[in-house]
Amino acid sequence: MLEKMMKTRLFAWIDERTGAEAIIKSQLTEYQVPKNLNYMWNFGSLALLVLTLQILTGIFLAMYYKPSAALTYGGYTVAFDSVERIMRDVNFGWLIRYMHAVGASAFFVVVYMHIARGMYYGSYKGPRELLWIIGVVILLIMQGAAFFGYLLPWGQMSFWGATVITNLFGALPVLGEYLQQLLRGGFAVGDPTLNRFFSLHYLFPLLLAAIVGGHIHALHVVHSNNPEGIDVHEGQGTIPFHPYYTIKDAFGVAVFLLFYCYVVFFNPQMGGYFIEVDNYVPANNLQTPAHIAPVWYLTPWYTILRSFESKLLGVLAMGASLAILFLLPFLDRSKVRSSRYRPVYRQMVILFFITVIVLGYCGHSAPTPTLKLVGQIATTYYFAFFLLLPFLPKFEKTKNVPDHI
Amino acid sequence: MKLKNILMAVVAMTSLMVASGAVQANEHGVALKHAEIDVTDQEQLRRGLTVFTDVCMGCHSAKYITYKGLMDYPELSLSREAVDELRGEHPLTAGLITDLSPEDAKVSYGKVPPDLSVIANARRGGPDYIYSVLTGFEHDPAGKVPDGNFNEYFPGNRIAMPDPLGWLDHDEADTAELEAQAQDVAAFLAFIADPHQNERRIIGCWVLGFLVVLTLVLYLLKKSVWSDVKH
Repeated sequence: MLEKMMKTRLFAWIDERTGAEAIIKSQLTEYQVPKNLNYMWNFGSLALLVLTLQILTGIFLAMYYKPSAALTYGGYTVAFDSVERIMRDVNFGWLIRYMHAVGASAFFVVVYMHIARGMYYGSYKGPRELLWIIGVVILLIMQGAAFFGYLLPWGQMSFWGATVITNLFGALPVLGEYLQQLLRGGFAVGDPTLNRFFSLHYLFPLLLAAIVGGHIHALHVVHSNNPEGIDVHEGQGTIPFHPYYTIKDAFGVAVFLLFYCYVVFFNPQMGGYFIEVDNYVPANNLQTPAHIAPVWYLTPWYTILRSFESKLLGVLAMGASLAILFLLPFLDRSKVRSSRYRPVYRQMVILFFITVIVLGYCGHSAPTPTLKLVGQIATTYYFAFFLLLPFLPKFEKTKNVPDHI
Repeated sequence: MKLKNILMAVVAMTSLMVASGAVQANEHGVALKHAEIDVTDQEQLRRGLTVFTDVCMGCHSAKYITYKGLMDYPELSLSREAVDELRGEHPLTAGLITDLSPEDAKVSYGKVPPDLSVIANARRGGPDYIYSVLTGFEHDPAGKVPDGNFNEYFPGNRIAMPDPLGWLDHDEADTAELEAQAQDVAAFLAFIADPHQNERRIIGCWVLGFLVVLTLVLYLLKKSVWSDVKH
């Protein structure tokens, strides 16, 4: 079909003015991809899909949403009212809003899988260091966008979650208090906070779209890694992206949509994991909820924060836990990429994934002394994983790597 | 081999989803009573509406549900006459708002009763919680909390709402009737918390049906496109 389209006169006209044919060839029909990628390589295209869905649904939501904390009848606010208006009175507003709310969680599911794949198969290692670093920037912006977005319904969890997180900045020395007030637009979370968060929540996805473009461009310069973690050369074990990976990604999209649509249509709150129960209670600055926890995708980092007695140390550790991701390509000194040929790293990285899940569980649950200890042990391993990497080649006996796929 | 991996992932994801649904029941230790509700049952929803307007609306509002909505939602589809009788002087576009002013409520009960529009989503256990609380008034075993303010299912047990259905010390013969009232109003509140939920589930069945076919077609297409790739 693509070839047919490229033979039309219209295409020739466009090609003369844009060089479209060369782009399509170099990026799709002649772009070489290893033939042995497994289904873990589908999550990149899924992330792109969810980002698109989030931006599109978000644009429509912003047509009806009103960022104002002005009080209305019954202890509600203009913002909360406008969300309920979308849910009740706007044609298919419920669908757009549930797609957006579930989409936020789905975005993190696919991106965390995408990152885990990169770590397991060593996709962050040379020559893909910059590709990985751009990816970490994307992760940070995503977390920011999700955090800003969660404030918008102005429910109890929105309000208190934002209060707790903006409080963290106050713990930083010298500039902390200034930063905190800058974020809040005042001394406490309130109407000005809601307005600036809305503005930033609209800005960040646009940044994401641009940086994702950079991520894909960087990928197309160095090409995909593969489960064997070995360099491949054109003609030796590679196939063109189109049609092979376009159809494989399309199949992945269909499978993803099955899960996504099941949640959107039948379980949009996901038992309080995707939309928390307390967020249906309007924000009340005089009443703290019994248990404040961020949404599941931020809970691992929340546990790291809570694992330290000193607030400053907790904040620094949380910052470090994200910042250390940037250093991963340089901490790992092994010549071998894929876990398939690195027995010790394989154990370590699987334990790392389990650790992140444990951290997430601890952060989501109400704090108990046992969970705190578990969280502290998990935090220790989180950092130990990264800090052990430089010494790993000294005692890890890697298996023989095949020289072609 | 690969298909097996996909199947395993599907099974894992599905069990996670089911588990997350089952976990929600209750977090204050006391197991909630299960409410027999059906948000597609017009009779039950209408009975629940009557309990709501006759009892709950003495103090509570549901401001996101308008009198017009009572006619427009197919699940309720009240007649214009019935709605006119309910609304009295209130305009059709007004929400279901109590005549009790917040100030008076504060004087009488110590706090303003919460709006009930989204209460079924705002409490863990939803309709089960509502049903349990309405039929959970007991004498305080410790004798500290006055009668009518002790509730087995309310977090902390001390509730400002005084036994709306008259559950405490009711006649044995009335148990079934009171339980039915509590379930009906729980059904009504579960419905108004998300009034498009029935439409959503119906559309969802079509969407999933389409996606199953699409997935199958794309899988076969993928297999055929990849048939010339040797591993």
